[in-house]
Amino acid sequence: MAGDEERDDTITTPGEVVGHFSSLIPGRGTYLCHKNHRDIYASLTGHCKITPPSPTSTDKRSTIEIVGHKSHGAIPETGSIVIARVTKVMSKMASADIMCVGAKSVKEKFSGTIRQQDVRATEIDKVDMYASFHPGDIVRALVLSLGDSRAYFLSTAKNELGVVSAQSTSGSGDTMVPISWTEMQCPTTGQVEQRKVAKVV
Amino acid sequence: MEFVNLQGIRLDGRRPKELRQLCAEIGVVSKADGSAAFEMGNTRVIAAVFGPRAVQNRSQKIANRALVRCEYSMAKFSTGDRVRRPKGDRRSMEISLVIRQTMEACIMTQLMPNSQIDICLQVLQADGGTRSACINAATLALADAGIPMCDIVVSCSAGYLNTTPLLDLNYIEDSGGGPDVTVGILAKMNKVTLLQMDNKLPFDTFEKVMQLAIDGCEAISKYIREVLLENTKQLEYRRGL
Repeated sequence: MAGDEERDDTITTPGEVVGHFSSLIPGRGTYLCHKNHRDIYASLTGHCKITPPSPTSTDKRSTIEIVGHKSHGAIPETGSIVIARVTKVMSKMASADIMCVGAKSVKEKFSGTIRQQDVRATEIDKVDMYASFHPGDIVRALVLSLGDSRAYFLSTAKNELGVVSAQSTSGSGDTMVPISWTEMQCPTTGQVEQRKVAKVV
Repeated sequence: MEFVNLQGIRLDGRRPKELRQLCAEIGVVSKADGSAAFEMGNTRVIAAVFGPRAVQNRSQKIANRALVRCEYSMAKFSTGDRVRRPKGDRRSMEISLVIRQTMEACIMTQLMPNSQIDICLQVLQADGGTRSACINAATLALADAGIPMCDIVVSCSAGYLNTTPLLDLNYIEDSGGGPDVTVGILAKMNKVTLLQMDNKLPFDTFEKVMQLAIDGCEAISKYIREVLLENTKQLEYRRGL
């Protein structure tokens, strides 16, 4: 375990008081009761972990979190980077199934939409969706918002976002190699296809 | 019929303020995100929790919090006679609704917008107090699934027969024609989330019976807490921590 974090040996269950607001900041797995703003209560079962404050923060209190033995599957939140597989490409938008949020995979896939104006940052009205994505491509995208009732809104309008991996539509079906920020090439047939490629750092 | 004899002993040998034997096990359904089996005397129930996951019926999606769905069903072999129960019968629907409202009061749904949590309850043996056993099992299953809750919900029932308040009625006492008060509380916060009664009671007697049920809930909450702590310790031990 890391040397600068203490792991308290107390195990708690939901509803128990784990600290006081004057000395600790509530973190993941804890909450402040809205009636009594002084006590921090646990909301998960697990160990209490107290993280000392970072040297640059103005608040000198440590953060208390509950580290549970099971965490529920990841859920996309606004501003998180997700990995999605493109399912449908249409003239004004592309549909994708979100498979990973950050580094964790989801238990059940979520639906996402990449609109024409969110594909790239420049010349957004001249975007050709068929030259940016193909069904089956794996893309890295940013969650813009929870979207409408059907899907999350995703954006690939940054250099490091876009198609990460794609199969060639030529006979071989090999994984293509990126050659510029708009093109990928199949290694066996040499066919060049257009995609919105992510710059791998 | 004499439910409490002259020495103060009930039909199953308990005293009026005694709970039935409790037994809980966590992690009985491997496919579920969280599961628990809870026994109160001869009443045995299994709870399985699935979630949080994407909402399956788009029209029911709620934008700022999680949708909680609950299904209660009794197995055909759970009562004395083997009866085939129709899926949507009124008693099951009512108990499903009641348990859903009780659990929704303690799950922190605002942390999981646009998602769904399913609680499936199956009664394997019914001997009175199935509602309470289901709520206790659901609490354990939700804690096992790692779903954030503001507190542990526990439930217990109490009745009034032969002018004595009785704790944790079994099936014979429940069908004895007296009132049956079921209480569900948030253990540490001491708040009531469920209060149901059938039949009629004068007000001061009701207060006594309700207080007895709340005391029973507190005893159950101590047991549930111990079970959760023990389960966490076992899991950590197996992982080599």
